[in-house]
Amino acid sequence: MKRLIVAELFKLAKQRKTYYALASIFIIEGIILLSAYFEGTNIINLLLDNLRKSFYFQGSLLNGNLLQYLVLNTLWFHIPLIIMIVVSGMLTAEYKDKTIQAVMLQPIKKWQWILSKYVVAVIFTIGVVVLLYVTSYWLCTGIFGEGDLVVYLEGLNFFPAKEAAYRIRWAFIAGSVSMMFFAVSSLTIAVLLKDVTTTWIVCCLFLIICNLLLKIDLGNTWLNQYAFVKLNDTWQYFFQFTIPYQTILINWWVLVGYILFMAAAGIFVFNKRDIG
Amino acid sequence: MISGTGLTKQYGGIPVLNQVTVSCNSGEICGLLGANGAGKTTLFKILLGLVTPDAGTLSIVSSSVKSVGGIIEKPALYDYLSAADNLRIFSSIQGLSTHKHTIHMHLERVGLPVDRKDPVANFSMGMKQRLGIAIALLNNPACLILDEPFTGLDPMGVVALRQLIRDLTNQYQLAVFLSSHMLDDLNKLCSRLYVLNKGRIIREGDTQAIMNACTRQYLITGNHIATSHAIRDLPHTIIGNTADIQLLPSELTHLLVALQKENIQVTACIPQPDLVQLFEGGAA
Repeated sequence: MKRLIVAELFKLAKQRKTYYALASIFIIEGIILLSAYFEGTNIINLLLDNLRKSFYFQGSLLNGNLLQYLVLNTLWFHIPLIIMIVVSGMLTAEYKDKTIQAVMLQPIKKWQWILSKYVVAVIFTIGVVVLLYVTSYWLCTGIFGEGDLVVYLEGLNFFPAKEAAYRIRWAFIAGSVSMMFFAVSSLTIAVLLKDVTTTWIVCCLFLIICNLLLKIDLGNTWLNQYAFVKLNDTWQYFFQFTIPYQTILINWWVLVGYILFMAAAGIFVFNKRDIG
Repeated sequence: MISGTGLTKQYGGIPVLNQVTVSCNSGEICGLLGANGAGKTTLFKILLGLVTPDAGTLSIVSSSVKSVGGIIEKPALYDYLSAADNLRIFSSIQGLSTHKHTIHMHLERVGLPVDRKDPVANFSMGMKQRLGIAIALLNNPACLILDEPFTGLDPMGVVALRQLIRDLTNQYQLAVFLSSHMLDDLNKLCSRLYVLNKGRIIREGDTQAIMNACTRQYLITGNHIATSHAIRDLPHTIIGNTADIQLLPSELTHLLVALQKENIQVTACIPQPDLVQLFEGGAA
């Protein structure tokens, strides 16, 4: 199993598309920082002009913490989309190039091979989120410095600089679980569809539907709490005035359950099917 | 040895293979001939274990952990990796040595250069076929299955690959099963031949005997052949120094002797099997 995982990591590291994906994440990050640098101060001043008259804010409001929070918001669509494209490509490329046939002709077990892809999908996802956190921390605080964080979430919430950094760190950790869900789902979609383009389209559709349904009342308490589409904003809970740790923990466990279910379904289908 | 008995497969209710029985012994090269869509690739996928047959049994006598290796349609390689890295990946996943010397040995076995570091996307089709065979031979399988191995190769590549297959078969006593719709390739390489048509084996046996049974026409090249009396009574057409003559295989020796008596120096005699008869069956 370890050998299969190392081989998958090696293939991922040797493919140009992996670096295009990582580069596109940095480009998005760069655009956020550039637009903040040139436009940000004016917008913040406009929004908070009245509040400045009543409250004292330590440091500039356009600071590293606010920008890291803005970078964090790419977890809604940009980052999962890029992760889904790369991860689903790990399998669809094997179907397209028929290397899957050559691999399956070697004395290895089908379920172990596909499981190794799921493991690498999770490793890649964690890597991307860690990279996003580290680079955004360095760039945002390096360029804009530290300061209090103001977030609009069912009203304006203000967090002192140190607390903001803590909340952002945990939001990245919580976000990585959501990203894992999308990564694993995309691989299962690839198992079902095999074709590169079709898989990309369905992955995009899946992501859009998840984001849409997140905002819609599903008309049932259980569904509104535990349907997988309702769990992908758990990282936002870290910006509520009081962090609902218990809810976050439950959401994580349920989401981990969905991740395991998705992976198990993909492994089952892959193992059952002929490599024709 | 590899054998399949009564292999049957349907896709969406359409029969692709119907009660197909084939076998290939160690040290033997068997050919599978058939037109496009005859079921060759499906049969090979079943023999390779990639597709499960609806009915029939598969038997492979082998002491190796990998009983059969092969290539389906075209060599499937990681185009973005070098030849050595491809071998390294396929070796590592099955726990084989990935030491530099071992990888070089695998490359040299199929006549590939060990110093190429560029991605295999830059390789010619012939080199890709060789690399595909090197990967198929990892872990020393007893059988090698090659689906259309000569497709896309230039004439020099065909000759070189044919020689490689012959050498590997003799050296490792492999049971080699290969398919093609090119008669010449199979005729020169295979001792035994199966002809597949619409999912059924319609002919099987000694390659030369099958070819002879379907041959009613020969191209004979010789100096002044147009002036020959011996061919005058046979249905024929003349193009330069070559006569396209219709005759039975049993009459060939008699004609060649007659041409020799007329001092016509025969430089080539190429049988022209009746493709319709060979591919689609009918009285031989």
